[in-house]
Amino acid sequence: MSVLEIDDVSIHFGGVKALQHIALRVGEWEIVGIIGPNGAGKTTLFNCITGFYTPTSGTVRYRGKDISNLPVHARTALGLGRTFQNVGLVKNGTVLENLRTAQHLQVGYEPVSGILGAPSTFSEERRVTERAGQILELMNLEDIAHERVTDLPYGMQKRAEIAAVLATDPDVLLLDEPGSGMGPEEADELGDLLLTLRKDFALTIVMIDHHVPLVTRISDYVYCLNFGEVLAEGAPDAVRNHPEVVRAYLGEETV
Amino acid sequence: MSAPTSPSSEAPDATLDLPTVEEELWSAPEDAESERFRPSRAGWFARGALWAVLAWFVLAFPVNFLSPFTLGVSDVSAASEAAIFAIVGLSLNVLLGYAGQISLGHQAFVGIGAFTSAYVVVNLDLAFWFAVAVASTLGLVQAAVLGAISLRLTGLYFALVTLAFGSFAQQTIFAIPKLTGGEGGKEAPRPALFDSDYRYYFLCLAFLAVVLFLDWRLTRSKAGRALMALRENPRVASSYGINVKAYTLIAFAVSGLFAGLAGALMAHHDEVIVAQKFGFNLALLFVLMTVVGGLRSRSGVVIGSAFFALLGSGHLLELLEPLTTNVFRFSLHDFLTGTIGLPIEFVALVVGPILLLLTITKYPGGIGQQIAPIREWMLGHRFDIHAGKVKEVEVDDVRA
Amino acid sequence: MNLPLYEQLAIALTAGVLRGAVYALVALGIVLVFRGSGVFNFAQAEFGTTGLFAAYWALTVQGWSYPVSFAFGMAVAIALGLLTERLVIHPLRDSSRVTLLVGTAGVALAAIGLQFWLFNETLVMSMPKIHDGYFTTPWGAIVTMQELITLGVLAGGAALLALFFRSPSGLAIQAAQQERVASELVGISVRRVSMLTWGIAAALGGLAGILAGPYLTFSAGFLSFGAVGSLLPGFMAAVLAGMRSMPGAVAGGLLVGAIEQLSSLEVFAESIPGAGAMILFVFLLVVLLVRPQGIFVGRAVTA
Repeated sequence: MSVLEIDDVSIHFGGVKALQHIALRVGEWEIVGIIGPNGAGKTTLFNCITGFYTPTSGTVRYRGKDISNLPVHARTALGLGRTFQNVGLVKNGTVLENLRTAQHLQVGYEPVSGILGAPSTFSEERRVTERAGQILELMNLEDIAHERVTDLPYGMQKRAEIAAVLATDPDVLLLDEPGSGMGPEEADELGDLLLTLRKDFALTIVMIDHHVPLVTRISDYVYCLNFGEVLAEGAPDAVRNHPEVVRAYLGEETV
Repeated sequence: MSAPTSPSSEAPDATLDLPTVEEELWSAPEDAESERFRPSRAGWFARGALWAVLAWFVLAFPVNFLSPFTLGVSDVSAASEAAIFAIVGLSLNVLLGYAGQISLGHQAFVGIGAFTSAYVVVNLDLAFWFAVAVASTLGLVQAAVLGAISLRLTGLYFALVTLAFGSFAQQTIFAIPKLTGGEGGKEAPRPALFDSDYRYYFLCLAFLAVVLFLDWRLTRSKAGRALMALRENPRVASSYGINVKAYTLIAFAVSGLFAGLAGALMAHHDEVIVAQKFGFNLALLFVLMTVVGGLRSRSGVVIGSAFFALLGSGHLLELLEPLTTNVFRFSLHDFLTGTIGLPIEFVALVVGPILLLLTITKYPGGIGQQIAPIREWMLGHRFDIHAGKVKEVEVDDVRA
Repeated sequence: MNLPLYEQLAIALTAGVLRGAVYALVALGIVLVFRGSGVFNFAQAEFGTTGLFAAYWALTVQGWSYPVSFAFGMAVAIALGLLTERLVIHPLRDSSRVTLLVGTAGVALAAIGLQFWLFNETLVMSMPKIHDGYFTTPWGAIVTMQELITLGVLAGGAALLALFFRSPSGLAIQAAQQERVASELVGISVRRVSMLTWGIAAALGGLAGILAGPYLTFSAGFLSFGAVGSLLPGFMAAVLAGMRSMPGAVAGGLLVGAIEQLSSLEVFAESIPGAGAMILFVFLLVVLLVRPQGIFVGRAVTA
């Protein structure tokens, strides 16, 4: 069964048709890449999947359940975790604080008991901190745990963001340009990291990225979007060499 | 049009839990710095001495205990009022500081708490403690309901709804003689045990301590973290799984609870509570003292609120008068009333806004940030003049 | 007196529309500033009270002529608006909207404080009317010339604003309000536009204050929460206008005025103290629950 099924999703803003009849399927433990020129509607698609936008028509299904009308936080609770194009972290907070906050849904007490200072909340808080530590360690980020996010270089922020999303305990990781601002070598490392994470956390990954070599290397399946429509889809190499895709990318430096 | 999924090349082990990390357990953030500073013996002594002075100033000085000074009863009463204002300040801090919402009708929450408590004690003949609980609960409910309505729009509308609520409370609710006792005010007797001004002061302090505890636990638990995240960036917060509206409502509710409690304490502090007290100027004064105190800084908000409470009642200048006349040979009182013609009762109204504008444009951390070096030192850290100088960066919403 | 309901209603509506003219002036300023700076300007009404105090001082203390005093009051109001922009809004341009709101509330309180301080000798002040005449309408409502003048000024001011925003510089302002960065690129000074916006808004506030001042006696905070408390009604009118539409602000102001005056109907006035405030509060809640996007939104929102 597919983990994620997007059926005939369209979304219009005023007169602009940002997405038209998108169909997309993501199977368990797959890595699915989404490529396409700027403004093709990739992030808009993510917003429809994660609930920031409600599609004008069409449905989004998660493990067979129609989630088209669920709010963002409820989709996170189901297991959708996402990163943002320009780093979705609480930037005035430290990395550790972000990872603690991101465990929101796994915190085992009610907000009221927290405010009243019930004894059980103290041990639970320790557990939350511990788990944040484990994730940071796994991502090799222990050293910056107490740094404020804004004070970190962009690449570090991007990494910390992935750590924070892992802290939400996702089944599906939706990554919006995780490799932006990275050179080929760093992108390669990122690819290895994602493969490891998939294995260790039993993740399904959907990623938008401009690094076509990265996407083709680690993806099991690739979609290419252009002008809000699926231009081509299939195995990475097939999509990469698809004549329409080549034409869409002409003039873009990323190929 | 359907996309067949390709079989995944390598099915990962379905370990849903984290791989075990062999390292030692992650330590709590406070202990995380490897070389932690330990003050020397003299350092401990100095800190202890300052703590003792502070304790004396709060616990002994106002009630003329172990004190070479003799303060009048009205000064103790002013100190109680300062403690009550501090509770109001902490209440607004939850909204403004944590949730990033502003209430311009806090005087109504406080006022309704006051009259409710008086009504429960006088008209229903029930216990003071019960009255305090009713007033606090009512504050919670009011704030939550108004919050729920204004959350349908952006947060700015809460300012408007509370503004309208404030004027409605002032002109309609407070005009009900049965509730407010009309022109002469409503009686609000104290419980027998806390009848004296000295004892009532300690009662106010005790409630302030409770509020400080709740506020501390709020910031150190799930709800506080959720609020910090949603204030800065609601989108990121919701993608962390935080129900932004629900947690904003929690902030409204907590704020309303504190405000209702402060109202009840204020009623029995005044003993006869009059409706005229709860005008719009008071709402602005509440906002002002909280911001000047320093949002998100408990100590700053308490000091800021106490400062404005004492400034407003004229006690601050009275207390400073012997100091300025004897040491600096300069009478602040004469300067204000004589030289620049500013009557004492307007000092807070004139000085306050200037401090407020200075705070938000130049010193956004308020008093809390200014005293941060001393506070951190007293808590056993190294003295660092730059402690607390973290400028909050305004964050563009993430592109989503 | 026991007038039939329809007569009471006619009288209330007349009084409401006349009072609504003041609210509309305040609302226009609020909408203008919101479009320009994205700020809920809680100092809007105090621009008016401050102008009124200045005009009063010029007229009664200095003995200047009415037109000169009026102009002086307007100048002070505008100066306060420009000062607010320069000292509060501009330094805080990158801050959150709530911080900006606190800033404008601070300006309001500072203005109230100053009025208290400088005029604490005089307990009750009254500003003479421009014209003392009044007449009674066929349905029994009393209309003063001063109120008619205010209504006329509102009509004139609104027409001028409409013309201005259709002129090239007016269009440039609208462009600058919508796209900060883009406007800088095509050479519109966002800074000047911001000053101009606050200047016009303060002038509208000043008009409201100086024209409404003679309605009754006044004291500090007159136009915010005093005898002609217009801050809340002004904001409600702006909400009805979706915070954006200028014609909507005018219509909203008149409507809010009329609704508030329903409190003078005997059914309410006899049973509920402060019925006006209650009606406004309930009305605001209903609007926010039922039509939060506003009623008189016009084309401004889609544009």
